[in-house]
Amino acid sequence: MDFFATAFLLVALFGLLGMGLWIGLSLTAVAWLGMELFTTRPVGQLMVNKIWESGSSWTLTALPLFIWMGEILFRSKLSEDMFRGLSPWMALLPGRLLHTNIIGCTIFAAISGSSAATCATIGKITIPELRGRGYPEFMTVGTLAGAGTLGLLIPPSIIMIVYGVTAEVSIGQLFIGGVVPGILLAGLFSGYVMVWAVLNPSRVPAENIRMRLLDKIRAGRHLLPAVGLILCVLGSIYAGIATATESAAFGALGALILSWLQGSLNRASFVDALMGATRLSCMIALILAGASFLTLSMGFTGLPRHIAEWIGGLGLSPWMLIAALMVFYIILGCFLDGISMVVLTMAVFLPTVEKAGLDLIWFGIFIVLVTEMAQITPPVGFNLFVLQGMTGHQITFIARAAVPLFLLMVVAVALITLFPELVTFLPQQMIVRR
Amino acid sequence: MRGALQALYRACGALAGAALVLMLTMITLNIAGGVFGFFIRGLDAYAGYLMAAASFLALAYTLKAGEHIRVTLLLQRLPVGLHRGVEITCLALAAAITGYFAWHSVDMVYISWRIGDVSQATDQTPLWIPQSLMAFGVVVLFVAFVEETIDEIMGRRKAPPKTDEPAHIE
Repeated sequence: MDFFATAFLLVALFGLLGMGLWIGLSLTAVAWLGMELFTTRPVGQLMVNKIWESGSSWTLTALPLFIWMGEILFRSKLSEDMFRGLSPWMALLPGRLLHTNIIGCTIFAAISGSSAATCATIGKITIPELRGRGYPEFMTVGTLAGAGTLGLLIPPSIIMIVYGVTAEVSIGQLFIGGVVPGILLAGLFSGYVMVWAVLNPSRVPAENIRMRLLDKIRAGRHLLPAVGLILCVLGSIYAGIATATESAAFGALGALILSWLQGSLNRASFVDALMGATRLSCMIALILAGASFLTLSMGFTGLPRHIAEWIGGLGLSPWMLIAALMVFYIILGCFLDGISMVVLTMAVFLPTVEKAGLDLIWFGIFIVLVTEMAQITPPVGFNLFVLQGMTGHQITFIARAAVPLFLLMVVAVALITLFPELVTFLPQQMIVRR
Repeated sequence: MRGALQALYRACGALAGAALVLMLTMITLNIAGGVFGFFIRGLDAYAGYLMAAASFLALAYTLKAGEHIRVTLLLQRLPVGLHRGVEITCLALAAAITGYFAWHSVDMVYISWRIGDVSQATDQTPLWIPQSLMAFGVVVLFVAFVEETIDEIMGRRKAPPKTDEPAHIE
């Protein structure tokens, strides 16, 4: 493998990305360059065959379905219901309704595959409610930014589907692997709110709704639709009844039925949700098309194998390797979105990960966690953009408010590195259907 | 001409949406078959074809909605003149890449048709049929990029609508 050729490919990649060429097309162009440099085979033909094969796969169908499900629920009254069901209970904890952000996002994350959608769906209810009651903006915005990222970690998760398809591991296992780390992270966030509330008792507004226990339980019934959907989607995967694709179909049908029962489903909202899902999954499909071609091309260049050997030769301890990767991803995440980051690095790093003896399910969860961090680091952080649009605050204010939650995510990475079973235990117990 | 192109992009988008609905139907039928004990041949393969159709047919429509992502961090900071130059280069490159992609997609359909390639799965569909939907979508994307390039050069390209849709992937 020629050093200059490698350097040339890297410069070309970052040059094209940096100048603003569409990400999927940048990947395609670099893959093409790599192929032309390293093989004499008919590049165009190999390219379309690969893209056709990966673009028409049964596994991939889970992607638009989960996106569609999220789009339907975003347009339903689900988040209002959840707030009504949660708030009487959360008012009991130190930090009170700030927890509706965290628990609300956690529950919504379990029916939605995206972090910005989670953040926006929960935020559109909690921001006005918390503002009206006088909660400090800094805490409202911070917890929402942090907890919104749980949309990536708690299944179903779009980015896990992308990782699963790219690294060829079971999407069902990835989903189940994200459950415990997701709950762990939500727990860390809630702990942060409680500690803050204990230290600043004067800044937590008093809650004047006094409800009897019975009423609280009755208010809790508003949570049932969400819980039902979670059981449908995650339960069916874990019990081995359904593949990721089948559970996505359950989820999309369930979301349609739910919004119909709520009366929020009409012709306009159906078409809106469907076309929103079409555009979003098309956008990801273009990146995936470029990425599948890049993976093919990298196989011909031998670059990933060389990197694996080089990193293997450095003799890093697993801790050092993981710390180095985390820093690398956080920096990359300042410029790229999570999905591009995953497909781009997996095309190059997969052999390195395998050679280092890291479990591919574990690594998937790790990558999702660091992508979550990237969601709330400027200059490019989708959750920051979403919250900027919703609250009107400066991006720097939102990013500052999210710093403590960012640090808690670093703690979470340390914890899953220390105790890999947090990730791997549940997936090993499940019955996998492919 | 321009009106016709707009209509073409929108029609392809609508077809892609319909493909998604059909795909959900196929998968649901597949599940129902497992539960109620009937079997329809090739449903999983059809779902895959519809997945590809939905992805590729929507390409131009998604581009026009400004939802294909790119890194605009540096681009935004360039002075106006340079910005325009880089933008034209990007569009021209994109047209070249999608042109190459479109050419080979059409070629793939032609080859599949000529050698009578059929699916290896139970559906045994002649592959040129589903593949031609992908090829068509890519050709339309190429046309859209050419149109955008010309518009940018003529200085009449409209910025894509700013969506406040929070529904971004991440």
